[in-house]
Amino acid sequence: MKNFFVILFIKGVSFFLKIFGKNGGNLPGKLAFKLNPNILKCFKIDCPVIAVTGTNGKTMTNNCIVRILEDDNKRVISNLEGNNMETGIVSTLIKKCSLTGKIKADYLVLETDESYVPIVYKDLKLDCLVVLNFFRDQLDRSGEVESLILKINEFLKTYDKNLILNSDDPNVSRLAMANPENKNIYYYSVDRYKFATDELREAGEGKFCPFCNTRLKYKYYQYAHVGKFICDKCNYGGNEIYNLLENVDLENRSFEIDGTTYTTKFNSIYSTYNFAAATTVCKLYNTDLISMKNTLENFVLNNGRLEKMVINNNDTIINIAKNPTGANVSLRLVNEDNEHKEILFVLNDNIADGKDVSWIWDINFDVLNNVDRIITSGTRAFDLAIRIKTSNYPVEKIEAYTDIYEAIEHLYEKNTKKYVITNYTATQDTRHKLMRFKEKCGDK
Amino acid sequence: MKELRILYLYPDILDLYGDIGNIKVITYRLEKRGFKAVVDTYSINDDKPDFESYDLIFAGGGADNEQQILSQDLIKYKEDIKKAVDKGVFFLLICGAYQLFGKYYKGVDGEIIPGLEIFDYYTEANPDRSKRCIGNIIIETNLDGEKVKVIGFENHCGQTYDIKSTFGQVLFGNGNKFNDSSEGYMTDNVIATYLHGPLLSKNPELTDFIIKKCLKRKYNEDVELEKLDDNFENLCRNQLFERFLENK
Ligand SMILES: [Zn+2]
Repeated sequence: MKNFFVILFIKGVSFFLKIFGKNGGNLPGKLAFKLNPNILKCFKIDCPVIAVTGTNGKTMTNNCIVRILEDDNKRVISNLEGNNMETGIVSTLIKKCSLTGKIKADYLVLETDESYVPIVYKDLKLDCLVVLNFFRDQLDRSGEVESLILKINEFLKTYDKNLILNSDDPNVSRLAMANPENKNIYYYSVDRYKFATDELREAGEGKFCPFCNTRLKYKYYQYAHVGKFICDKCNYGGNEIYNLLENVDLENRSFEIDGTTYTTKFNSIYSTYNFAAATTVCKLYNTDLISMKNTLENFVLNNGRLEKMVINNNDTIINIAKNPTGANVSLRLVNEDNEHKEILFVLNDNIADGKDVSWIWDINFDVLNNVDRIITSGTRAFDLAIRIKTSNYPVEKIEAYTDIYEAIEHLYEKNTKKYVITNYTATQDTRHKLMRFKEKCGDK
Repeated sequence: MKELRILYLYPDILDLYGDIGNIKVITYRLEKRGFKAVVDTYSINDDKPDFESYDLIFAGGGADNEQQILSQDLIKYKEDIKKAVDKGVFFLLICGAYQLFGKYYKGVDGEIIPGLEIFDYYTEANPDRSKRCIGNIIIETNLDGEKVKVIGFENHCGQTYDIKSTFGQVLFGNGNKFNDSSEGYMTDNVIATYLHGPLLSKNPELTDFIIKKCLKRKYNEDVELEKLDDNFENLCRNQLFERFLENK
């Protein structure tokens, strides 16, 4: 079908989905591919295309970049809802383009699933790729981490535009060598923070130098395998840093770049790294610094990641954790909070979650600061209960209910602060049921 | 106080799919009964361990590229490990470790990673890289004459052939090869299997079987194991049996 008609037709479909109250998601993109497999080549894009990829933190980093650029009076088109695969990206472009396929914006910023980077940007001309980190994530779906990195490495061999890399993740910074001719490589890094450790505390990837197979030496670990590393044999790791975050202070939610202090609403090392990535992009594209400072101060997410609510008069903090690293970050937040609290942890094993739940054994439950009770739920509630019990947390303080609503009712039997941790498909379900319970309690 | 000495091989390399959980479960079930668990680790660059001095030696699965690095290291100890097997030290080997103890592993491009050749079986990668045996798996094994269902999760592209004595019969899932009827390899003092999960987390009877075996060999007496609260384990097993066996 001719491009014009494909775009017109899909725009029509999207419109109808909207009328019927459906968000659409990937559906318009799927249709577009059916009608024209080369649809990505059909868009006319004059502005820089910036892609954000990596295992954890894509949505937050992507949305943060978009907010900074928008607050600096730039027109930005982006897939803010996290539809980050090929079809989701096409859906976004179709929705936002003119009938002739022209994208009218100053920047196109696209959160992109790791395995789709080579596919999407074969046809869409990329100006800047941001790579955050590589962690174990749903291994049984996308193959092992290494093969994913190799695919992106292969793509980068012929890429010579801006490449922004996390210098502190050995799985990421190795990508700089994919094309030795590329002079546009920009590393970001976060200086040692208060809770960094000398030993690896949580499951991590990349213990060996990717170039000479020597065991990597770490000066310190920030979280998981992210930290200051070096290969004694070939000096891999000694990068020149373009954007360095210093004096990270999680209690006051602040850090420094080039002598300026920035404050945010986030207090985890993991979000600090996302800010490091986002600010690198803005530094590279010369965003106004005063405007950026202001944006960072107000930036929040509202899609279940670190969301705060009051339910039945109890402070409730909701956090998504779809892999060990995410869960360990959530538990760090629990432990850095000295108040007494109870945890609800919901674990599903639907296809989108990855059917393998063994990753919960890579979560560190050994230290739980003032946690009075843990309730587990979801299709794999019992697996989680066994895991927590085996860490020597008292078994009489663990309750398991496969039904999420039932678990929520039990959670609010007692008045304490609540932390709710959910994996991928459990997030929306748990959120809905929390809202339903909140209404029933008569909270406003 | 009775104790078991456990050697955990390459914990920092063979660490995929939460296999470390097996060590946690064994330790937990020993300590709950007042026994002691001494867990030593060995990895590349460490001093050579005295394999025969341990009661139980454990190794798990890892990423393909890292498995190659350690195959070169492990082969240095071929004779020592063989002696430990012959002496009756219990070996629990999961996935990648299972394969490494066989004759060889043949990769997709025909490259051969030599194994320890301690057991006769060999493994070949499935030619289609994207096709792996992945999913929940339930087998039935025989523990000292008692039929026990074992539940886990398999994720391997290797197809293992020439198994003399299997760990169990497949009730749900693949096993040693696609749609196989048998899973793993088992002798008197060896369990080698593709089951992650981690394996011991949902199979308390199997864990206690291994603990009992090791204690018996070490102290030369039948040690009665105190019953533990396995409420969550039983609920979990029942839920998953119902889901995978009854709605098949
Ligand atoms: Zn090196």
